[in-house]
Amino acid sequence: MQRRRFLSAMLASASLPAAGWAAAGDPAYLAAARTASGAFELFLLDETGDDIFSIPLPDRGHAAAAHPVMAEAVAFARRPGTFALVIDCLRGKLIRELEAPEGRHFYGHGVFIAGGDVLCTPENAYESGEGRIGLWSRSEGWRRIGEIPSHGTGPHDIRRLPGDILVVANGGIRTHPDAGREKLNIDTMQPNLSYLTEQGELLDQVTLPDDLHQNSIRHLALGPDGTVAFAMQWQGEVTDGVPLLGLHRRGAPVQLADLPLSEAIAMKGYAGSVAFDGAGDRVAITSPRGGRVQIFGNDGRHLETIRRSDVCGAAPSTAGFLFSDGMGGLLELGEQLRPLQSRPGRAWDNHVVSLRNATT
Amino acid sequence: MKHLALALACLASPALAGVDEALDEHVLPRVKTFRQQAERLAERASEDCTAPALRAPYQDLFDAWMGISHLRFGPLEEDGRALAIGFWPDTRGMVQRTVARLIADEDPAVGDPEAFAEVSIAGRGLFALERLLYDEALSDYGPEDYACSLATAVARDLSRMAEGLSADWNDYQGLMKDAGENTTYLSEKEAAQALYTALMTGLEFTKDQRLGRPLGTFDRPRPTWAEAYRSDRPLRNVVLSLEALRELFRTLSDDPIPVTEAAFADVLDVAAGLDDPRLAGVEDPSERLKIEILQQRVDLLQDDVAGEIGGALGLTQGFNAQDGD
Repeated sequence: MQRRRFLSAMLASASLPAAGWAAAGDPAYLAAARTASGAFELFLLDETGDDIFSIPLPDRGHAAAAHPVMAEAVAFARRPGTFALVIDCLRGKLIRELEAPEGRHFYGHGVFIAGGDVLCTPENAYESGEGRIGLWSRSEGWRRIGEIPSHGTGPHDIRRLPGDILVVANGGIRTHPDAGREKLNIDTMQPNLSYLTEQGELLDQVTLPDDLHQNSIRHLALGPDGTVAFAMQWQGEVTDGVPLLGLHRRGAPVQLADLPLSEAIAMKGYAGSVAFDGAGDRVAITSPRGGRVQIFGNDGRHLETIRRSDVCGAAPSTAGFLFSDGMGGLLELGEQLRPLQSRPGRAWDNHVVSLRNATT
Repeated sequence: MKHLALALACLASPALAGVDEALDEHVLPRVKTFRQQAERLAERASEDCTAPALRAPYQDLFDAWMGISHLRFGPLEEDGRALAIGFWPDTRGMVQRTVARLIADEDPAVGDPEAFAEVSIAGRGLFALERLLYDEALSDYGPEDYACSLATAVARDLSRMAEGLSADWNDYQGLMKDAGENTTYLSEKEAAQALYTALMTGLEFTKDQRLGRPLGTFDRPRPTWAEAYRSDRPLRNVVLSLEALRELFRTLSDDPIPVTEAAFADVLDVAAGLDDPRLAGVEDPSERLKIEILQQRVDLLQDDVAGEIGGALGLTQGFNAQDGD
C-alpha cells in the first residue's frame, strides 16, 4: 500500500517538470504573516529571511505543511478554520482548497507521509469531541481517503517519525465551533502525546503527572535521534511557573525541562512554538506573552534566555535557530543573536516551517 | 470632501509616540525615586530593623514600586528583577513558605549580600518584607532576633537591585532613543511598541490581577488574594498604578488625548469613591458591586486607549501574544 502510494507520488512528480523545491528558488522557510496593508499571506523565505515570493491567504494563517519533495505546501487556517490551501510554491498558484468534512475543523497543522502522497490533518470531530486525523491523497487529486482516531481530545500539531509513524500532540482541550475558542473541559482535560500508525493503531501514549493535567501538549519538534520535543500551554494560573517543555523518546520516561523560577513565571504559562536547532543540540520554546525564548540543551538543561517582544515562530537554521515575531522581525541565533530582517508593519504568525529540515 | 475628512482625521490623531519624552519625563524620574526610597529603607534598617521602624519606609518604597512595576521589559527583566522585587501574584504560596524556611533554618545568607542575592526570589523583595512587618505571627521580633537580620538583608537587597536597575536604565534608555540603530530595537516603532505594550499590560494586570484576584467569583470571593492586603495596600496600589500609567500615556502622546483623559478621570473617580483600602468588600454584595464597577471601568479604559492612542500611532498589542494557539 505504502509502496504503491510512493510510486504514484513519483509518477505525479514526473508529470510536472522541475517542480521540486530547488526550482522554487530553494526557499528555506515558509511563514504566514499579516502584511502592512492588513492582508494575510504565506511567504517563502530564503536562508537570510528575504522574501522569495508570497501567496495571498483568505484569512489569518497558522502553520503550513511542506511537501517533502515537490514545491508544494499546504497552508492551514487557524483553528477553528475549515480551509486548507494546497499551494504550488513554484508558480504561486492555488492547486486546491481542502474543505474539512461536515462536523470537523482543522487545528492549523498537518504533515505528509507515504513519500508525500498522503497528507495527515489533525481535526476536531466536534459533536463528540474526539480527535481525528484526516487523510488526503495527493495523487488522487487531494481526495479525502479516510480518517483515523488521534487517541485524544484536541489534536493540534503532528509530525512524522521514520517508518511513517505519526506523533500527535493531543492538547486535551475540548472546543466547539459554536462556542468559538471557549474551553469546555478545563477541569477534566487529559492531554497526551500519542504515537500512531497510518492505520490509526496506537503504538505508545504518554501522559503527564496528575498535577500537570492542565498543561495542554500543543506543539512538536523532532530531534535527529528521534527525540520528540513538545511545548505546552498551561491552563491554570499564568503565574504558576510550571514546565512548558517536555522531551520524550519512545520507551523512555518523559523528561520535563525546568527553568529558574523567575523565568518560569515570566513565560506566563505559555509556549507558542518549539524547535530543535539545525544541529539538533539545542531546543527552543518561545513565549510571545512573556516576550521570551528559552534555550535548552537536548538533555533538557536550561542554557539561556532571549528576550524579544511578541516572539513566536521558531525553526532550525543552518547556524542554529530562526525566530520570528509580531513586529516584523526575523532573528537568527547561532553563537549569538543576530537580527536578519526587520519589516515594521508585517506581523509574522505563530509558526515558521523549515523546508531544509522538514521531514527528518 | 474626501480630502477634508482625511485632513481632519490627521489633525485628530496624536503625533508619533514620544519615546524620548516618556523616558525623560516618566521612566527615568520614577526609577530614580524608586532607587532613593530603596536606599532610605536600607539606611533605616541599618539603624533599626524592627517592624515599627521599617513600616513607613516600606510603604514609601512600595509607592515608588507602583510607579515602575509596569515597565516589564529591559532592565526590570534583567536577572528576574521584577519578581525579585515584587513576587506577586503568589499563586503557590511561595513567599510564606520561603520566609518560614529562612527563619526556621536561620539561613546564614542574611549576613552576606552576595549569598542573599541567590536566595529564592520568593524570599526576597517587598512581599517577603511585608510578611515580616505585618504578619502578626512574625512582626513582633526584637532587634536581636533572626527576623531582624532577615528584614535588614531584604532591605539591603532591594537597595542593591534598585541601584542595578537605575544603572541599567541609564544604558538602556540609549537603546530606546536610538531604536533602529541597534540590535535590541530593530526599528523606531519597536521602542514605541515596547512602551505601549507595557501600558496595556499594566492596565490588564490591574484589571485581572489587582482587582480580579480578590473579586474571584461571586460565590467565592478571595479577599486575602488582594495585593499586599496585610499592609493595607490593595486599593492604593490600584490608584497609584493607574496614575503612573496615565503619566506614561501623557508623555507618549504629543497631542491631547481627551478620550483617554476622560476615561482615566472616570476610573480614578470610581476608585476614590471606595472607602475600602483592602478591597475587603468583595465579600459584601453591595460593596462588591462597586469593586466590580471599578474593574469594568478599567476594562473600558483599555478600549478607549487602544482606540485613541494605539489606533492613531499604529500600535497594537502583540499579534501572537493576543492570539493564544
